[in-house]
Amino acid sequence: MSLLDVRDLSIVFSRRGRRDVRAVDEVTFSVAAGETVGLVGESGCGKSVTSLAIMGLLPKRGAAVGGSIKFDGTELTSLPADKMRGLRGRDIAMVFQDPMTSLNPVIPIGLQVTEVLRRHRDMDAAAASKEAASLLERVGIPDPARRLKEYPHQLSGGMRQRALIAMALACKPRLLIADEPTTALDVTIQAQILELLKELVVDSGTALVMITHDLGVVAGMCDSVHVMYSGRIVERASRWELFEAPRHPYTAGLLASVPRLDQARGEKLEPIPGSPRDTIPWTQGCAFAPRCRNRIESCTQGAPELVADKLRPDHDLRCFNPIDVAEQEAVTL
Amino acid sequence: MSTEKQQPAGNGRDAENLLSVRGLQVHFPIKKGILVDRVVGHVKAVDGVDLDVAKGTTYGLVGESGCGKSTLGRAILRLIEPTAGTISFDGVDVRAQRGEDMRRLRRRMQMVFQDPLASLDPRQSVESVLTEPLRTHGYGNGKADHAKRVRELLDVVGLPANAAGRYPHEFSGGQRQRVGIARALALSPDLIIADEPVSALDVSIQAQIVNLLEELQEQLGLTYIVVAHDLAVVRHVSDTIGVMYLGALVEESPSDDLYAEPLHPYTIALMSAIPIPDPKVEERRERILLTGDLPSPANTPPGCRFHTRCPFRQPKRCADELPALREIRPGRKVACHYAEDIAAGHIRPAESVHDPAATEVGTPTVVAS
Repeated sequence: MSLLDVRDLSIVFSRRGRRDVRAVDEVTFSVAAGETVGLVGESGCGKSVTSLAIMGLLPKRGAAVGGSIKFDGTELTSLPADKMRGLRGRDIAMVFQDPMTSLNPVIPIGLQVTEVLRRHRDMDAAAASKEAASLLERVGIPDPARRLKEYPHQLSGGMRQRALIAMALACKPRLLIADEPTTALDVTIQAQILELLKELVVDSGTALVMITHDLGVVAGMCDSVHVMYSGRIVERASRWELFEAPRHPYTAGLLASVPRLDQARGEKLEPIPGSPRDTIPWTQGCAFAPRCRNRIESCTQGAPELVADKLRPDHDLRCFNPIDVAEQEAVTL
Repeated sequence: MSTEKQQPAGNGRDAENLLSVRGLQVHFPIKKGILVDRVVGHVKAVDGVDLDVAKGTTYGLVGESGCGKSTLGRAILRLIEPTAGTISFDGVDVRAQRGEDMRRLRRRMQMVFQDPLASLDPRQSVESVLTEPLRTHGYGNGKADHAKRVRELLDVVGLPANAAGRYPHEFSGGQRQRVGIARALALSPDLIIADEPVSALDVSIQAQIVNLLEELQEQLGLTYIVVAHDLAVVRHVSDTIGVMYLGALVEESPSDDLYAEPLHPYTIALMSAIPIPDPKVEERRERILLTGDLPSPANTPPGCRFHTRCPFRQPKRCADELPALREIRPGRKVACHYAEDIAAGHIRPAESVHDPAATEVGTPTVVAS
């Protein structure tokens, strides 16, 4: 049984005098213990909002969450705030993108890490501080006792991110949501952090939701990958399947538009035309249709459903005219 | 492809160099004191860089944040005044130029910045953004010429003509970057320094801008210096790549060879750390993890700058002798005492290296994934 079960999640932001914004719609996915699931998409596709909804961090007013989010059988969307506070930080933890803005600049690192321990694990100050030091050590921060007394600005970017991960790991969460955990970091530091997250999943069976725009990161660590566009999942498959035979034109477009280090140079990149702003509402058709190479007439007449792919096993697709697998093989040759 | 690209400029590296930089230094003073400033040290942001860029080619500068690559880019344009060294642009000694001469020279050297939203004035329309350089440098004869040039520029960067009347916030990120590029092109420069031109953009948009830069180079014979941290992008656009670490070049190589066979230990680690969007490749890659962070440029390690984190570190020379950037094969320069031995496989990365001096920044390990 899966640990996290998200069914038909929708998030609608409303503001007086403005049209409602449906940021996320029909999002369904599940994560089992010890599994890593990737949510991939560009800015504005709804991936971060999805994670905030799971954490119960969306504002009470102005954001309507529909559908169901079940964590180990408990429905989170209707959970009272005090119960949610009990889960958050203990069973479900999150690593945010920017370590500078998610750490409090005027409070020493130590106090921020021990806060979680004292709140959820009822430790006294001495025990919490000892535990915090061992947590920092575990995430690879040298000289943890000294670092605990320091303020965020005294740490480098990589170390701040590791401190954030240490806070998230403090209560051995069963579910960890990492929202672009390495985007603000350099590649050599990114490699360290990703290695740390992989170890965590393998060693303690944590379920990991990895939110990123970097297909390379996904290729290295996610068991299954959900590609989002304009608030909906447009393709879902295992990473092996997805990178071998991307079927949705958006996924294929993303892959064709990033230069690869290990391939011959000189080929022109094939960008996706237009920008993520050029969408049509899903109620009128496929949001990707205005930018799509494979557009056919029906694409702008109604929205496709996310259904199992007829040609490939274990592959879901939201597309009327997906890329032909045979055609794709011809391209890769 | 790369050889074709270099052809217009002659034979690649022997071609006429548009830009030659020798021993360039940018040292920022660290000051202390309340009433009287005392200089207590220097941040060596750029510490002795030599580079040559041939006409019509692209030189890529890569490195991690804090390595000095952006400072180097700006110092070449004298947007930051270098503290030592020479810059020769088309035979002109840039650092010797004063006042009006320097201003005229700037027409030929332009810059494209990283974040188009931050580098465009939100209250200035695109037309005004593009006309400003034309006015300042006395382009053409009056307004009609300026309007014509603005239309040309918008066309060249692929923006509709009606974009002229609009303001930066009305554009998407990719379009804004096109405005930034149009501004750099306004005075038909020879050299464009692009500082992280695509890193603020969405993945699907990055390729559009990369392609635009390449097309412009073909059409207008531009010379680029592209500064970026994304090696895959840099390799795609560049003919030659310089890898920087702590203010100095540690390796310079034709871009095709750099991934195939990186020579400097830092480049080797950097290459192995870059994720590749293909699970099959990712599964069998050997990843060399560097532990620790970049040492402070105010207090650079003695000897080789990289020796505190180097997985190939040897007991001799590394800690006390600064390696020079030397050409060990035609076109391939590397600043490592043991580059030949590493390339030949005589020296393997250490499983773990123990050195009391290195504990501060951690010890390098090798992880096979």
